[in-house]
Amino acid sequence: MSFPERVVVVGFGPVAARFIDVLEPSVVSGALQLTVIGSEADAAYNRVLVADVGVGRTSPSAIGLSDADHLASLGAEVLLGTGVRRIDRARRQVLLEDGAVRPYDRLVLATGARPVIPYLAGLNPDPLHPTLPDGVTALRDLADARVLRAVVERRGDVVILGGGILGLEAALAAAEEGARVTVVHHGDYPLARNIDDGGGLVLASALRSLGVRLVSGAKAVGLEQSGGGAFTGLRLDDGRLVSGDLLVLSCGVRPRVELAEGAGLPVSSGILVDHSLRAHHDEHIYAIGDCAEVRCASPSCGNCSGNTAPSGLIGPGWKQAEWLAESFAADLAGASSGAQRYVEAALPPVLMLKARGLDAVVAGEVSADPWAAHEDGTAVALWADPQQGSYAKMVTRNGVLQGLVCVGMPRAGAELVLLFESGAVLPPDRSSLLRLDGAEASASSASSVTDPAAVVCRCAGVSRGSIEQAAVVGCSSVAEVSASTRAGTGCGGCHADIRTIIEQHFQQPASV
Amino acid sequence: MTLTLSGPGVASSSAAASVEVSGRDFPTNRGGLCRKGWSSAELLKHPDRVLEPLLKNDDGEHHPISWDRALELIRDRVLSTRARYGADAVGVFGGGGLTNEKAYLLGKFARLALGTSRIDYNGRFCMSSAAAAGNRAFGLDRGLPFPLTDLGSARTILMLGSNTADTMPPFVQHLRAARDAGGLIVVDPRRSATAELTSEGRGRHLQPAPKTDLALLLGITHVVIMEGLIDESYVRRRTNGYNSIVRSVAPWWPERVSSVTGVPARLIRETAHRLAEPGGTYILTGRGIEQHANGTDTATAAINLALLLGLPGTPGNGYGTLTGQGNGQGGREHGQKADQLPGYRKITDPAARKHIAGVWGVPESLIPGPGLPAVELLASLGQPGGVRCLFVHGANVAVSAPNASSVLKGLRSLDFLVVCDFFLSETAAEADLVLPVLQWAEEEGTMTNLEGRILRRRAAVSPPPGARSELWIMARLAELLEAPSSFPDDPETVFTELRAASAGGLADYSGVDYAMLDAELHLVELHRGELHSRELHDGGAGAYWPYPAGSSGTPRLFVDRFAHTDGRAVLHPVAPSSSAHFASAPDGVLTLMTGRLLEHYQSGAQTRRVVDLHSTSSEQALQIHPVTAGGLGILDGAEVEVSNERGTVRAAARLSPAVRPDTVFLSFHFPGTGNANVLTSSETDPVSGMPEFKTTQVLVRVHRPAQSEVVGV
Repeated sequence: MSFPERVVVVGFGPVAARFIDVLEPSVVSGALQLTVIGSEADAAYNRVLVADVGVGRTSPSAIGLSDADHLASLGAEVLLGTGVRRIDRARRQVLLEDGAVRPYDRLVLATGARPVIPYLAGLNPDPLHPTLPDGVTALRDLADARVLRAVVERRGDVVILGGGILGLEAALAAAEEGARVTVVHHGDYPLARNIDDGGGLVLASALRSLGVRLVSGAKAVGLEQSGGGAFTGLRLDDGRLVSGDLLVLSCGVRPRVELAEGAGLPVSSGILVDHSLRAHHDEHIYAIGDCAEVRCASPSCGNCSGNTAPSGLIGPGWKQAEWLAESFAADLAGASSGAQRYVEAALPPVLMLKARGLDAVVAGEVSADPWAAHEDGTAVALWADPQQGSYAKMVTRNGVLQGLVCVGMPRAGAELVLLFESGAVLPPDRSSLLRLDGAEASASSASSVTDPAAVVCRCAGVSRGSIEQAAVVGCSSVAEVSASTRAGTGCGGCHADIRTIIEQHFQQPASV
Repeated sequence: MTLTLSGPGVASSSAAASVEVSGRDFPTNRGGLCRKGWSSAELLKHPDRVLEPLLKNDDGEHHPISWDRALELIRDRVLSTRARYGADAVGVFGGGGLTNEKAYLLGKFARLALGTSRIDYNGRFCMSSAAAAGNRAFGLDRGLPFPLTDLGSARTILMLGSNTADTMPPFVQHLRAARDAGGLIVVDPRRSATAELTSEGRGRHLQPAPKTDLALLLGITHVVIMEGLIDESYVRRRTNGYNSIVRSVAPWWPERVSSVTGVPARLIRETAHRLAEPGGTYILTGRGIEQHANGTDTATAAINLALLLGLPGTPGNGYGTLTGQGNGQGGREHGQKADQLPGYRKITDPAARKHIAGVWGVPESLIPGPGLPAVELLASLGQPGGVRCLFVHGANVAVSAPNASSVLKGLRSLDFLVVCDFFLSETAAEADLVLPVLQWAEEEGTMTNLEGRILRRRAAVSPPPGARSELWIMARLAELLEAPSSFPDDPETVFTELRAASAGGLADYSGVDYAMLDAELHLVELHRGELHSRELHDGGAGAYWPYPAGSSGTPRLFVDRFAHTDGRAVLHPVAPSSSAHFASAPDGVLTLMTGRLLEHYQSGAQTRRVVDLHSTSSEQALQIHPVTAGGLGILDGAEVEVSNERGTVRAAARLSPAVRPDTVFLSFHFPGTGNANVLTSSETDPVSGMPEFKTTQVLVRVHRPAQSEVVGV
């Protein structure tokens, strides 16, 4: 092994940025030589916030996650706007599009994912190099955001194809900023693949009330275009036309795997890696984030059964990035001799809608029927108040959350997510979680107690009875009561209560 | 807290004088006192007072000895320890309740008379994270860089981890305007008495899960940056490091923060917008966010937020930390910290060493280098290469230090332990030698309050005949140890020397003297209302440091520049450590937070001796959510065991929805089986040395059912 160790990262998105952040001390110390190759002209930025840039809520500079100049000043090589042609595994080097070569000891693929371009009449079907007509965009990068921005700014008509979480977030943001927004989606309600019926219907109604038009149960078949080829409307299979100024494609993402595939690495949905995030059959190559599919070679591995495709969410990618960078740093520090290290299996993803006017969160398996008898310890608790727009469903197995839906109950939703991620047992009284959003939760606990032993002045520890006694012996003002009992001499917060007690006292004799 | 004394006999200061306490109309407390203040005179003539030096004999009992014998014994033990193990085998543990004079002389005593580097103090458990964050950001640490009364004009006040309604009740008066404007925002995992002040439309309570304060602050800062709420011109003119902050908070959008903290995203956004509204905004931190293994970073996150909003140094706005102990501010400025020399100087700074050596009249080489922060110092007790002979002043580490059982073990493994106290505290009970010292009303000196304002403490009564001032003790010992330089036992002389030592330092007291402080005190008393209102407007009165000779002090810091060389504040990016796993606890494990009760103070050595306070709160109580308690079969009043691998605490269960279901709360005021610090760990903040007091993992179970259960009510 050469020294310093050469680490090449392909891809410069949020996951690569996190990886580099954690690895920074090793770069600074000179223990490794880092090259980062990004295809976009910008250093990593937070893709989750692209829609916010698109509706003009924030600027590209506010969502930056990395600073190329800063990295360069630490001695890292940062190549922006640079494509990678192929990986030469035999020579352990990557070939760049301009013909240059970068050798590696460890290669980290963080190539991310690209938007799915649906098969629609009028759209170029080449998935690797889509050229979209005017008025059609995905919403994945800053260039896409600029396209959306232009339409939202003039309060144009935005049609969003896809009822997934990203489509809904873009829809709500655009609607709130004044655009007219229509979401065209499969199923009876948005988020149909993740949410249950009740939650979906409450969510749909909340979206409508926030000005988002929903075209449900729709299957789009083609574009309507102007003479110049620009988008004017979306044609559905039942013949309906949804017209608009801009079509935003929000039909999911697909891992970018072609580089790995071209190098002969095993690929399923994503680049296959084991629990150390190492590519199958090549100990020098790793993959993290949206391009990586964690599925080990062991057929008996419980974590690798079922669907192991990357989630498309940022959280698991960041965890992988942190884990891998720490593992590299430990290797460099010579701490690798211990037991085999494994990245934690990702939990089922939590979808928390990023929106200002609507609180909704879905996680895990939520389809269980509350009325069915479950033999595996599954139980379902349900709250629904569609008219008020609130809905909560907790699916537990032996008391531990397996899935949750929560709409219109922000505090309960947030606490349920904490419980879901910690795997803690829910309180037997599930309704205690619902009450967190109740009006009484933020009301003062100080009530109009008439118990003479009740403490009125906490600071000085004076009871109602003592204050009443002071009034009996003639104290008729707060100052007099304070002088006599010390009540009200600390924070002063009980002055109103003292006044009330005095007034009550002097009214009573008058009425007798 | 400010006190005046009255009653017959005060004029003569005779020992027979009966003392009464009343509230003085001073700007900070506006005449208010809490129960601890009202009852404080009870301690002066308390029957438990130690009245003569006590030596522990072979029988394990303390027996009176003469002062001469006590001092000679100390000299012998110091000299023999030093000869056998080296000077660093003698250690000193100080306190944030000591006067400036005592704190200053204690640092000098350790370094010159004992020749040791091993000195630190209990402020390490209190203010060290906020101090480290303030120094890093502003180049200077004064708890409130503005007069407290400035808060009275604020429209919005964000209080992070501070329960002043219990810990400093008169302070609440300064929150009135913000509460009237619906702008009091309290961040606390408990619905504390202070959080209650936000109810009925007075503000908002954000109730994050324990360990997630930093993420919450990053989320608020994220909104401030993303939604263009920053004060751009301020950030450009007055700070360095903006770009690094943008990058560090970009990953913390409100929904992500919500899923980590349990605080709704909506509330995070509202908070950010409210803070950015004009009309006066203050951000204040307390121990709740500071007493963590990442306390410095969390305090830094609060400062970053304040800087981005343009608050520090801008009239009518600001950032501050609420100092806890009586002299928690002055106590951290004049040399009882392991890494510090008087005037808030660094002990590693050659210029600082030279200046202090000059004032002390000794060669610079005689001043030892930096020592060990408190937790490390205590961990070294009795260990090879560690401290074998310890002096404790104004601290009760057997109760107040984290991982108390191991601290107790350390104390018991010492060759010699000297404790200066006026009661036989739990630490004094372990001592080989207890030296009786003076109480607040019996001594002269100065204290520096939470605003960096220097105040006079004046003797109102004579001390009991057997007690001595710690200045006297140090002066006599210095003689016996043939220490270089001088060790005056007169407070005013010590203060004069402190002024010279602090001159040119960050905390410069050189322009302040007793006569001036006394005159101001009289002025305040004579003109009460009038002066009070004038102070509200111009803050003209009061000796706020830095107060260089020839100046008139500095009520408001940072108006034109920060204390770094280039005059700018540093925005230092912070983030939760990647290994910080949020909220993932094994089944049944609860997070224990520790804190104060209204009735008690610190280790309770004093307040547990006041009948009125003790009768209200006489035993350790565990605050636990009814739902959690229900799951564990715990009824209100049941005796429960709270335990982890370090130990077990017994407490009475107090069921309350004010605490989160995943969290329980114990106060740290009780000793023995009620000592919460038996459970806390020795883990510390890498920058400040602050222990982790707020996120201890524990299990709770019933020890003895509640009485109502037994009789079957």
